[in-house]
Amino acid sequence: MFRKITLAASVAALALMAGPQAHAQDTIAVIVKATTSEYWQTVFKGAEAAGKELGVKIEELGTPKDDAAGQIAVLEGAAGKKPAAIVISPTIFEALGDPVAAVTKAGIPVIIIDSGAKTDKFASFLTTDNVAGGKAAADAMASCIKERTGKVAGKVAFITAMAGHESLDSRDKGFKDGVAAYPDLKLVGNRVANNEEAEGMSLTADMLTKDSDLVGIFADNAQMGTGAGTSISEKKLGDKLCLVAFDADKGEVEHLNDGSIYAVIVQDPFMMGYGGVFNGFAAAHGVRLPKNIDTGVGAVTKKNMNDAAFAGLMDVTKRKMSPYTGN
Amino acid sequence: MNNDNLGALFQRLPVETYVVTFTVILWIMLSATAPNFMTVDNISNMMRQVSISGIIAIGVLCTIIIAGIDLSVGSVAAFCGVIVAQLLSHGYGIPISVGLTLLAGVLVGSINAAGVGKLGIPAFVVTLAGLQVYRGFALLVSGGMTVGGLPPQIKDFSRGTLLGIPNLFTTMLVVAIIVHYLLSYTRTGRYLYAIGSNSEAARRQGIPVFRMTLIAYVLSSGLATLAGILLVSRLSIASPSMANAYELQAIAAAVVGGASLFGGRGTVLGAVAGAILFTTMGNGAVLLNIDPFWEMVLEGLLIALVVYLDNLQKKRQSGL
Repeated sequence: MFRKITLAASVAALALMAGPQAHAQDTIAVIVKATTSEYWQTVFKGAEAAGKELGVKIEELGTPKDDAAGQIAVLEGAAGKKPAAIVISPTIFEALGDPVAAVTKAGIPVIIIDSGAKTDKFASFLTTDNVAGGKAAADAMASCIKERTGKVAGKVAFITAMAGHESLDSRDKGFKDGVAAYPDLKLVGNRVANNEEAEGMSLTADMLTKDSDLVGIFADNAQMGTGAGTSISEKKLGDKLCLVAFDADKGEVEHLNDGSIYAVIVQDPFMMGYGGVFNGFAAAHGVRLPKNIDTGVGAVTKKNMNDAAFAGLMDVTKRKMSPYTGN
Repeated sequence: MNNDNLGALFQRLPVETYVVTFTVILWIMLSATAPNFMTVDNISNMMRQVSISGIIAIGVLCTIIIAGIDLSVGSVAAFCGVIVAQLLSHGYGIPISVGLTLLAGVLVGSINAAGVGKLGIPAFVVTLAGLQVYRGFALLVSGGMTVGGLPPQIKDFSRGTLLGIPNLFTTMLVVAIIVHYLLSYTRTGRYLYAIGSNSEAARRQGIPVFRMTLIAYVLSSGLATLAGILLVSRLSIASPSMANAYELQAIAAAVVGGASLFGGRGTVLGAVAGAILFTTMGNGAVLLNIDPFWEMVLEGLLIALVVYLDNLQKKRQSGL
């Protein structure tokens, strides 16, 4: 969470340097993976906030669902209009590499957010370290188990939302590495769902049938977190089983409140949109940017969910950007 | 037993034979190999899990019987689930919210039927368009976000039991009995099968083809809507991404249960047994810790095998 302070501070300095009125007609295009998801809507909200502060027009673009070919067309269309900068989250690493490089070559700075593209021709890359997020989940689970049983021991399992997604695989890898650091935690199962809440719910119930002595489950995205949380709440196992889930949509927050989810691992999509636009603006004015920027992850539990540092991450309407604190 | 007797025996076998046999064999195998399979908890779990896909499969079956198809059911379940959640979260009571949502489902079915029966567009195309349109509406009505903040009583139905049987399962049984009665013991049922066997002949005999088409698609959308409402009750939220690809599960359940995609053939018992078979496979795969990727392969192969055996029987019946 705190690594972004440097970003926010540099961004604040730039804002003072550039002055909002000077380039009122600038447009920055923000292209996301799937316009229909809550996560990407939050990215747009961050982009809008930055656009307002800088006085640039934000064009919100993207395909309704993950669609690499569609996204390339959107990118080319956006580049054709010669915006000051383009902020993009590439849908597929390999497929978007050349198109992103082509836009950079045409003289438009590209800021990549969330997921990478196979090229080094971009101005800056703002992302969550998903491996660190997975590891944070393992640590949160371990401290939950310790809190309840006095020792970090027992069987744990995890649910993967979809097969073959780079960010999910990284979270799972981080989780597995994290669990391996606790010698008495035993990883006994992994199921893969179809990114659908009810399936996450069924898989959780079935995993608990197989190993009724499970002490922890990790759900690697919002859909799985909601599904697993519902199953735990139905079985009233919230005080026995330590469920840790990625992201914080309404379903997960409800289960965090009712005690079915112990902790959620939150990313900072708002900062990706906000920082993406700020960096795009800076790059358009000739500022050299750091190549890689980590927007951070945090483990939020029922106890700390209302802390000032996390409230804006859990509910974007409570987000207050202050250039000196990062949140 | 000589070949003629064997042939005669096969002819008398009802269409659900294979799916029921497979399910029973699978249950026996799982009881023997997975220690926690035959437990009250697990059976009750599976009853909850099968209900929603079973209800959707029964609806889709009605369209398959008239040689149609309904690919929009998953999206309709999500769309109507989001509608009911929005109404509930805005303080409308459960009866009004559920009533209005079911009306929306009936409207969707009527539109599908009009596209197929009045405009003459192939059912595959009409409902494929519906799959996109209603998913889009689900996203619009929810603003792309999960709808939460529902009254806590909404959970009670799907968590409750009656005489030890989960309410969700009882709901599926009631739906199954009503639709089974409609298909097997009423004139409407006979008309539906007749249209599926030969639509033109049915029309010449004076069967009201459009009215029957309307009934089939309204049943399909209406049951998908009911499933969407139950899904919201289960999850106590509605998400625009829920019920993803449920149409494929439903079609697979109906077809494995003996329904023919060419129409005129299929039963409620078969569709429900198909849904139970898939739920059992999913449950068994977790209990036996089968690799999730192999689970997908096995499920696909099972669909192919059951339909192949079923086709063999059909050929025997038609004397080929």
